Amino acid sequence: MNYRRAANLDEATALLAQYPEAQLLCGSTDAALQLRHAPQTTVLIDIHTLEELRGISVEGDYMRIGALVTLNELLRSDVVRASLPLLAACTETFGSHQIRNLATVGGNIANASPAADLTAALVALEATVTLTSQDGERSVPLETLFCGYRCTKLDHELITAVTVPLQTGSWYYRKAGTRERLNIAKVSIALTHGHGGFRISGASLGPNPVRFRTLEALLDGGVYDDAAIKAALESDTDPSGGFRSTQAYRLRVAFNMIKEALSQPEER
Amino acid sequence: MQITCTINGRTHRFDCAPESRVLDLVREAGMTSVKAGCGEGECGACSLFVNGRLVNACLLLAPQIQDAEVVTLEGLQEETAAIRESFAEHGAVQCGFCTPGFVLRAYDYLSHGGERSEEAIKAALDGNLCRCTGYRKIVEAIVKVKS
Ligand SMILES: Cc1cc2nc3c(=O)[nH]c(=O)nc-3n(C[C@H](O)[C@H](O)[C@H](O)COP(=O)(O)OP(=O)(O)OC[C@H]3O[C@@H](n4cnc5c(N)ncnc54)[C@H](O)[C@@H]3O)c2cc1C
Ligand code: FES
Ligand code: FES
Repeated sequence: MNYRRAANLDEATALLAQYPEAQLLCGSTDAALQLRHAPQTTVLIDIHTLEELRGISVEGDYMRIGALVTLNELLRSDVVRASLPLLAACTETFGSHQIRNLATVGGNIANASPAADLTAALVALEATVTLTSQDGERSVPLETLFCGYRCTKLDHELITAVTVPLQTGSWYYRKAGTRERLNIAKVSIALTHGHGGFRISGASLGPNPVRFRTLEALLDGGVYDDAAIKAALESDTDPSGGFRSTQAYRLRVAFNMIKEALSQPEER
Repeated sequence: MQITCTINGRTHRFDCAPESRVLDLVREAGMTSVKAGCGEGECGACSLFVNGRLVNACLLLAPQIQDAEVVTLEGLQEETAAIRESFAEHGAVQCGFCTPGFVLRAYDYLSHGGERSEEAIKAALDGNLCRCTGYRKIVEAIVKVKS
């Protein structure tokens, strides 16, 4: 296996152009296990030391979070707690202390797991991702980055940052089975309710973190009826995400969480 | 490839494949306090410090410790003496397999000013599994570490 450590962002994008089949490496909490099951990987590009991809800053009404920011850095950030409380709540349920010391924001997104908690929370917050390649930079809504189970539309690109509008209004975040957070059986729901109406997303309810648009429209229209919420949830989620056997259970948990979110959201 | 790092203050050189686990390298280097438990990041038996951060050695690949400062329990004997004593005193050890990981986590937690409440300590131990003790004694031992 060929290993390359990128010294800076330019070198990283050049390497990615040169080795399109390469696997990137940040915290390696996903990559290490994947490599063991994919011995055909031939090139590793290590980007975990790129300073350009660090740092959390507030610019106007937005927060910019570098792709290499770790979950523990998010968890400990006062500015995240103050301005994106939903995100702070998500980090508290994420992995374990040791995992949070390694796991990065960019890795959670790029890994494109249906169960990616942080990604689901960022989708509800209408985050935008900045993608960088040799040809320059582009920004896309995070929600549009995915193309099915473990699939992203990254095109020889690195995720360099995530931009998140500062949160206003009420919010809710909950992950099932927090006490057994290292188990895979989990559903998480992220909800915000502000001037723009409801924004709701969840993890483990489809091949990618999903935004529940039908449900949002229903609630924006003032319909809080149980049967209608259930039907909306069902039409918003796609059971082909590899969770077929327990999708009914997951939908029930999601429904209970939505009800809880509507009756007792966090205010800010 | 060649990897150079320090382990407990001493320089080590490894000739290894890039996909080698740090867990295996440090054990080969004689640091057998680092245990191979689940191999998947879930039990914390392989915990060690890399540049001051407690991480799972089973998930780290060799190149990620190039030029790094690695510290295992072997290198923290004095610093962890009070914690280890408290574990012994409170019966927080049965088979002992998970103990190095718990002691390092306790050290990491307490040296960062972690609160001495059962609740907070339980939450802080989320990355370490013990199959024997039921955790009660481990939590108690950490609450009562003499400072
Ligand atoms: C025990 C355990 C518990 C976990 N708990 C949770 C949890 O509670 N919630 C959750 O969501 N996840 C969890 N995870 C999954 C994992 O920790 C996260 O997805 C993490 O954020 C991945 O980040 P990383 O830096 O380790 O990525 P890596 O493993 O280094 O990389 C993952 C993938 O993303 C690609 N990649 C990484 N960075 C970039 C980038 N900047 N641009 C483009 N591509 C990139 C790599 O090519 C690779 O394929 C857990 C994992 C373990 C082992
Ligand atoms: S062996 Fe590394 S966490 Fe279990
Ligand atoms: S004492 Fe045996 S695993 Fe903890």
